[in-house]
Amino acid sequence: MRRLLTAFAVAICTLSSVAVYQPAWSDIEGWREIAWPFPRDGWPAGRAFRCAVELCGDEIELYVRPKIGFCNCDSGVADDDEVDRVTDLDLMSQRFLPLQPGKVIRIADMPGRLRSYDLNMADGSRHAAVGIAVSRRCDLLVAVAQGKGTAPEVQRVALEFLGSGNMVHWMASAMEGR
Amino acid sequence: MNRYGKPATYLSIFFISCSSSAYAQQQVIGAPPEASNMKLVGANDLQARSAYQPTIHHQGDRWIAYIGHHGGTDDIPAPVNPQTGKAEPNGTSIVDVTDPAQPKYLRHIPGQEGKYEAGGAQMVRVCDGKALPKGDRNAVYMLRTFGGEAHEIWNVADPANPVLITRIGGLKDTHKSWWECETGIAFLVSGAPDWRTRRMTQVYDLSDPSHPVKIRDFGLAGQEPGSTGAVPTEVHGPISTGPQGNRVYFGYGTNKGGFLQIVDREKLINGAKEPSADNLRFPEISRLAMSAFNGAHTTFPMKQMPIAEFANDKDGKTRDIVMIVDESILNECSEPRQMVWFADVTVENRPMMISSFTVPEASGSFCERGGRFGSHSSNESMAPVFYKKMAFIAFFNAGVRALDIRDPYHPREVGYFIPSITAATDKRCVTVDGKDRCKVAIQTNNVETDERGYIYIVDRANTGLHILELTGGARAVAGLP
Repeated sequence: MRRLLTAFAVAICTLSSVAVYQPAWSDIEGWREIAWPFPRDGWPAGRAFRCAVELCGDEIELYVRPKIGFCNCDSGVADDDEVDRVTDLDLMSQRFLPLQPGKVIRIADMPGRLRSYDLNMADGSRHAAVGIAVSRRCDLLVAVAQGKGTAPEVQRVALEFLGSGNMVHWMASAMEGR
Repeated sequence: MNRYGKPATYLSIFFISCSSSAYAQQQVIGAPPEASNMKLVGANDLQARSAYQPTIHHQGDRWIAYIGHHGGTDDIPAPVNPQTGKAEPNGTSIVDVTDPAQPKYLRHIPGQEGKYEAGGAQMVRVCDGKALPKGDRNAVYMLRTFGGEAHEIWNVADPANPVLITRIGGLKDTHKSWWECETGIAFLVSGAPDWRTRRMTQVYDLSDPSHPVKIRDFGLAGQEPGSTGAVPTEVHGPISTGPQGNRVYFGYGTNKGGFLQIVDREKLINGAKEPSADNLRFPEISRLAMSAFNGAHTTFPMKQMPIAEFANDKDGKTRDIVMIVDESILNECSEPRQMVWFADVTVENRPMMISSFTVPEASGSFCERGGRFGSHSSNESMAPVFYKKMAFIAFFNAGVRALDIRDPYHPREVGYFIPSITAATDKRCVTVDGKDRCKVAIQTNNVETDERGYIYIVDRANTGLHILELTGGARAVAGLP
């Protein structure tokens, strides 16, 4: 009996101390998860996804992660400058140019803003990108999508993906530290 | 005991020991403070307002503490001021600490409405009118922030009856400014509406506080209006060594991506003022990048420190040191450790980190106590009693830590004080499985010292002001009797 109890105790402790891995996937066909492609920075790595050419027209990649404790608790994502600052555009290129004023958006029941950019990549190529920042209390969730297509197309594909059921579920869980 | 009794006992012991270990170190009301080589002299509850920066000013034959506050809480957005009987948004507390054992609360000046960081009046600096080049010799001027939207200057010659002199408004965020009393030059951490960052620096001539003169806007290239691309980390606060030292040490970042920027003060004040990328780079001497894990809340310079170990070296006997203090942001150790760093900036274009200090977490199970654990700020007084000998670090739920920094290559802790919590101490929560889990713990946010050797600590979680003094071996480090 003592051995059984010990095993039970170990099992309980193990279950409570190890974070349960929750795979993030989309219920939209054509997307697959890839390894986070950026070096470690001040925030824990997020999730990265790639959409196949045949589905998205061009290859589009999307990177999404929570930034806990990085938001103005009262005003949230207040303006376009905030989107420039907090989204992970700089991981892809330090040189990006907004194409137009951003717009208010709501993702996974979190309010924020979205803005489109022209990215000047290190190899000289130009990519279209969309930066998204939404917040809950003092926490942010940021997403960036980029590809060789047009900005409206990247935006459409990114929003469709982020709005899928599994992604909404994962984003909500990630913001709660789960 | 039946055959199920013994297993049930084992299970009970297991669950009790599992759960009690998490709460063993939590503070309880009525328990004594935890201390080593520091003792409590006096206290004031500051009307249970969340406190930020204290500045202690020797004013005539009195000693006055000016204490900035954050905004109110969700539960109490505007605490009642017992002196007026009215609910007042948190602002600035003015306390007579001439007798540190019996501090007298003189006045509360309300601040901007708003909760937590969104309201209050966090920052305070004080200059005598007779020290300022064009000040009223009979005045004592208090510079403070007004929430995020303005800077204000009050005449506090009669600290119980302050009078508003000037307001510099229209800003989107303000924070920890620096004011040179001998010149009146002020480095105001502001958020100019057209800049791409929440916080940058506006340099003002406040030598005549009733007529502020703006000198220039300053920040990092990429933050200025009209720039594009990546936006550098925002400023947190500068400390100037004045015209003699001719340096301003800027800290950027709070708990992430921080760096120390060393700036030529004369070039900053007299250089081209148009905020172009080239003009912003012109006064910069160098930067010391920190890990992406840490930010720079306070950058405290200590020039020409004699280093005993180097006393017989033909060169480099003294070193210019900057103490960099990170700010912990998240509760219950949910981020990389924020701590204290010492940089040798003697060779200014090659600054180098030489040592660090943190409180051992295991010494108090601080990750389990609740609230923030990690550093926030240091004392900023350069009075001889402690300067270049001791530093005091506000460490949130680990209270204040007293460091012997005479050898900044090997700083060592010589004392600490963790105040008791009270009924006013506010809870701090983390989200666990989608629900708030809250604990109550002291949250020592800021610390300042006076020329007499008293140490003033204030609490972010509404516990108030505690006035301390050194005891035992720590007094010897400072050369106190």
